[in-house]
Amino acid sequence: MESILYRLLNMAETYPEIAKEMTTVMRWFFVVLAAYILLVSIISLLTTRCTPEIWGYFLVENGGNYPITHWENVVGRSRSADINIPLRTISNNHAIINRRDDEKWIIKDLGSHNGTVVNGFKLVPNKRYLISTGDEIVMGGVHCTLAPASVEESRNNEKMRRLDKEPVAPWKILLAITLFQVLTIVQLIIGMGTDITAGALICIVLLSVVMWAYVTFFKAMGSRGFEMEMIAFFISTINLAVTASWNPGNTVKQFVAMMMGLSLMIFMCIYMRELERTRKLKPMLIGLSVILLLLNLALGTVKYGAANWIQIGGLSIQPSEIVKLAFVFVGAGTLEELYQKNSTIMYAAFAFFCLACLAIMGDFGTALIFFATYLIVSFLRSGDLSRMILTFVGAALMGLMILRFKPYIASRFAVWGHVWDFADNEGYQQTRTMSFGAGGGLLGLGAGNGQLKYVGASSTDLVFGFVMEEWGFIIAVLLVLCIITLTIFSVMNIVAGRSTFYTICACSAATMFLVQTILNVFGAVDLFPLTGVTFPFLSTGGTSMLASWAMLAFFKAADMRQSASLAVRKEA
Amino acid sequence: MRKQERRAVICLLLAFILFAGVVLFGSRFIRDGGKWASFYGNSQIYTDGRINRGTVSDRNGEVLLECTRDGFFYNDDYETRRATVHAVGDPGGNIASGAINVFKSQLIGYDILNGTYDNSSQGKKIRLTIDAEANVAAYEALGGRTGTVGVYNYKTGEIMCMVSTPTFDPADSLPDADDGEGYYFNNFLDGKITPGSTFKLVTATAVIDNIADRDSYTFDCDGENEYEGTDFTDIRSHGEVSFKSALAQSCNGAFGELTREVGAKTMQEYAEKAGLTEPVDVNGIKTAAGSFDFPEDDNIKLSWAGIGQADDLVNPCAMMVYMGAIANEGEAVQPTLIKSATFLREITGGKSLGRYLEKDTAAELRSMMKNNVVENYGEENFDGIDIYAKSGTAETGGYNPDAWFVGFTDDVDAPYAFVVWVKDGGHGSEVAAPIARSVIRTLEANAESDDM
Repeated sequence: MESILYRLLNMAETYPEIAKEMTTVMRWFFVVLAAYILLVSIISLLTTRCTPEIWGYFLVENGGNYPITHWENVVGRSRSADINIPLRTISNNHAIINRRDDEKWIIKDLGSHNGTVVNGFKLVPNKRYLISTGDEIVMGGVHCTLAPASVEESRNNEKMRRLDKEPVAPWKILLAITLFQVLTIVQLIIGMGTDITAGALICIVLLSVVMWAYVTFFKAMGSRGFEMEMIAFFISTINLAVTASWNPGNTVKQFVAMMMGLSLMIFMCIYMRELERTRKLKPMLIGLSVILLLLNLALGTVKYGAANWIQIGGLSIQPSEIVKLAFVFVGAGTLEELYQKNSTIMYAAFAFFCLACLAIMGDFGTALIFFATYLIVSFLRSGDLSRMILTFVGAALMGLMILRFKPYIASRFAVWGHVWDFADNEGYQQTRTMSFGAGGGLLGLGAGNGQLKYVGASSTDLVFGFVMEEWGFIIAVLLVLCIITLTIFSVMNIVAGRSTFYTICACSAATMFLVQTILNVFGAVDLFPLTGVTFPFLSTGGTSMLASWAMLAFFKAADMRQSASLAVRKEA
Repeated sequence: MRKQERRAVICLLLAFILFAGVVLFGSRFIRDGGKWASFYGNSQIYTDGRINRGTVSDRNGEVLLECTRDGFFYNDDYETRRATVHAVGDPGGNIASGAINVFKSQLIGYDILNGTYDNSSQGKKIRLTIDAEANVAAYEALGGRTGTVGVYNYKTGEIMCMVSTPTFDPADSLPDADDGEGYYFNNFLDGKITPGSTFKLVTATAVIDNIADRDSYTFDCDGENEYEGTDFTDIRSHGEVSFKSALAQSCNGAFGELTREVGAKTMQEYAEKAGLTEPVDVNGIKTAAGSFDFPEDDNIKLSWAGIGQADDLVNPCAMMVYMGAIANEGEAVQPTLIKSATFLREITGGKSLGRYLEKDTAAELRSMMKNNVVENYGEENFDGIDIYAKSGTAETGGYNPDAWFVGFTDDVDAPYAFVVWVKDGGHGSEVAAPIARSVIRTLEANAESDDM
C-alpha cells in the first residue's frame, strides 16, 4: 500500500515533462473554476432584492397608513425614524414599537416630551407595555392605532416575495468546487512530489464530502441560500492547499479546526433563530471572554513577538480569536437596548478590557481589529454625541497602546512605503511577498511550486503573497472580493432586517473580516505597516480558522431572503 | 432600523478602502510586477544570487552564456569569452550594461500572465546581434591594447561587433572592481574620449552647409601654421591644400582656419546635430554623452576644438551612429543589441533617430571620405572593401597619441558603420585602420555564408 502510494507520488519526478505540461494546463482550469465559483456566488448575493415583509400597519388620524416592515421600529418626528410622523408635538424619537418572537407587540416610550397614552393610560417612560392591534395610542395628542396586516395584503406580500430573485442553486457550484478540489490534489502531487502526505490529500477529499453532506442535508431541511458557505468552503480548500504546500503535517489539524468551526457555525445559526435566548447569552459570553483573556495573560506564551497563545498539552490556541465572537455579540443590541445607557457602558467597558489585555499581550494587530470594530459598532449604535465620547476614549486607548509598543511599532512604521530600501532587514517579508507574488503572475505557479513558503509567517501574515505565487493574482483578488461581498450583502439586508441585534452582528462581523483583510493584505504588500493579522478562512492556524467559520453564522443570521438561511426560522 | 441602515454606510466605506487598496496594489502589480519578480530575493529564478535560467547567444546561435541552477556556463572558447564579456556581462554583475543585467527580465521570461512560470522548462533565449567571430577578430586585432571596436549595420541598427579592452575571462576568477584598470568598463558604451581628427568630419559638415565657396578654398600649409602666436602643427608641410585634400591630409592648419570661419555657435550646433552631445539609447542602455566647448571669445581654443582637441570628448557609440548617418544619406538609425525575432527589421530597417545631415551634405562628405581612403590610407590596404573613412590621432598627453579610425562600408549585404579606438596606439590610419579591416572582413565572410 505504502509503496503504491509512494510510486504514485513519485510520478511527477519520474515524468517531469508530463507533470510540467499538466501544471501548465491546470493553472487555467483553476482560474476559470475559481472565477466561476466565486463570481456566481458573489453575483447571487449582490443581486438579491429583499422585499421587506409587512408585519402590520401603524395608522395615524388624518395622517396616514405606515406599513411596519421591521420587528423593531422607532416612531418619531426624526426623518430617520422608521415610522416618521412629521408633527411638532411628536418627539424626534418618541417611542419604540416591537414585535416579539411570539407575535405579540410591545410599546415603550423613549422619554418623549409630550408622552404616550395607550387606551387612556399614560405610559411610564422607558418601560415596556404589551399592546394589541386596535389599541388606541395617543402620542403628543395624535391618535394612532396598530392594525394587523390584512389577509389580502399578506397574500400580496407573499406574491411580492415570490418575485424576489431566488438564491442560486448550489449544485453546479458544488460540482465546480469538487472538480477544483480533485485538480488541487493532482497539482499538489505534481508540485510536492513525495513531500506531500496522504493525510493532507485525504483532508481535501473529506472537506469535499462534508461540503456535499452539509448542503444536501440543509437543502432537504428547507434552506435555499448557500452562497456564503460555498465561498467559505472554497477559501477553506485553498487554505488546505496552502497548508499542504507549507507544511503537509499541519493539514489534518487545520481540517479538524475547520470541522469544529463548521459545527459551531451550525449551532450558532440554529440558536440565533430566537432573539430572546440569543440576547441572554451576552453576560455568559462576557464572563467567558474575561476568563479566557485572563488565562492568556497568566499562561500566555510568546509566538512571533506577541504573547497571544496558550499552550494546553500539545494544542496551542489563540484566545483572542474566540473572544472576537463574543465581542460581536456584546456589541450588538436590540433597538431597545440601543436606547439604554447601561448597554452602551457595558460594551465600552468590555472593549476597554479586551484592548487592555491585548495591549499587555503585545498583540497590536488584533487590538487594531477590536478597536476598529468597536468604533464602527459604536457609531452604528448611537450615531451621535455618545459616539464622540466613546471615540475619544478609544483614541486615548490607542495612544496608550502605541506608547506601549513604541520600539516595535516605530521600526515597522519606519520602513512603511519604502520596504525595497530595507529589503534584507525590516522589509524582508514584504519584499519577498511582492517578489514571489509577482512571480506568480495572473495564473500562479501551481500549488506546491511556490517558494515564499520558506519565508517566516508565509502561510499566515503573508498568505496573500502565498496565494498570489501558487494560485495567481486573479484568485488572490477574487478572495478579497468575497470578503467585500459579505459586507455589502450584510448592509443590503438591513432593509429587511428583523432586529438591530442581527444587523449589528452582521455589520460587526463584516467589520472584523474587513479590517483583518485590510491589515493582512495591505501589510503584506506595503500599503500599510505589517501588523501580523490573519486573512479570514485563508491563513493557517486552527483557532483563526474555527473563528472564521463561526463568524459566518452572523452573516447567515442577517440573510433575510425568503427561506434562504439556516439561521432564520421558516415561516409557517 | 432606518437609522442603522444609514449608519451602515460606514461599513461600505471600509469595504471601499479595501477595494481601493487592492486596485492600487493591482496597478502597482501591473506596472512593477516584472521588477518585483526580478528581485534578487526571488529564489525561483536566482541560485546564490545568480539568475538560474535562460541563455544568451550571438546572432548565429553560438551560445555565449547558459544560466542554470548549477551556475553560469560561458562559451567554451577562451578568446570568445574575453571578446564578448562586455556584451554578455559577468557573474558578479559588475558590467552594468551587460546583457545579464540589462536584459534580465527577458532572461527570466517574466510576463504578467505567467509571472516567472517557465513554460518551456529550458528558459528563455536571448539572441544578441553581435557576431562572436567578429568580436574575436576585433579582440585579436587589438592585441592586448586598451581600446574599443564597434560595428553596426546602419540600415537595421544591429550592432555586429562590440569589444572593449582591457577585458577578462568571466569563467575565471573575476578581477577586482576597484583596481583602477577598468576591466568592467565598456569603452564603447560608456567611454568619453578625445576624438582627435575624426571630429574634422563634423567640422567638415558645418563647412559644407555654411561656406558656399568652399570649392575655391585653399590653405597654404607650412607644417607649423602659426596663428596668433600658437602653432597648429602638422606632421609635415601639406603645401597648398583644397578643402577636400585638407580633410584627406587631416590638415590642422586648414581646419583650424575653417573652424574660425564657421564660428563657435555653428560648431556647437553641428556637434549637437551630429548626435554627439546626447546619450544614445541602445535597448534601454544609455551611453555616455559627449561634451564640447566652443568658446566665442577664444579663437585659439575654438580652433583646437574644431580639430577634435581642446575639451572635446565623444562617445564611440555616438560616433559610430554618426558614421551610419553619413552612410545612410543623412538619416541615423538607432543601434540595437537584441536580435529581433521577426524579419520585419530586415525589410523596414531599424528605428530612425531622425536626420543628422542633409542628403546633399551626406553625399559630399561621403565622397570626401572616399577621397581620404584613395588619397591617404590607400585603397589597396582594404582588400577590396568599399570603404569610406577618416582617421584620427588624438593627443591626450600620453607617451603615444590615441589612434582612431571611423567610417563605413558601402555594400548592400554588409552596410556597416564602424569605430575603432586604440588608446596610446599611435598613428590612426596605421594602427586603427587594420583593425577595422580585419573585423569587417570577418563580418563580410559571415554575411556571405549567411546568404548561402
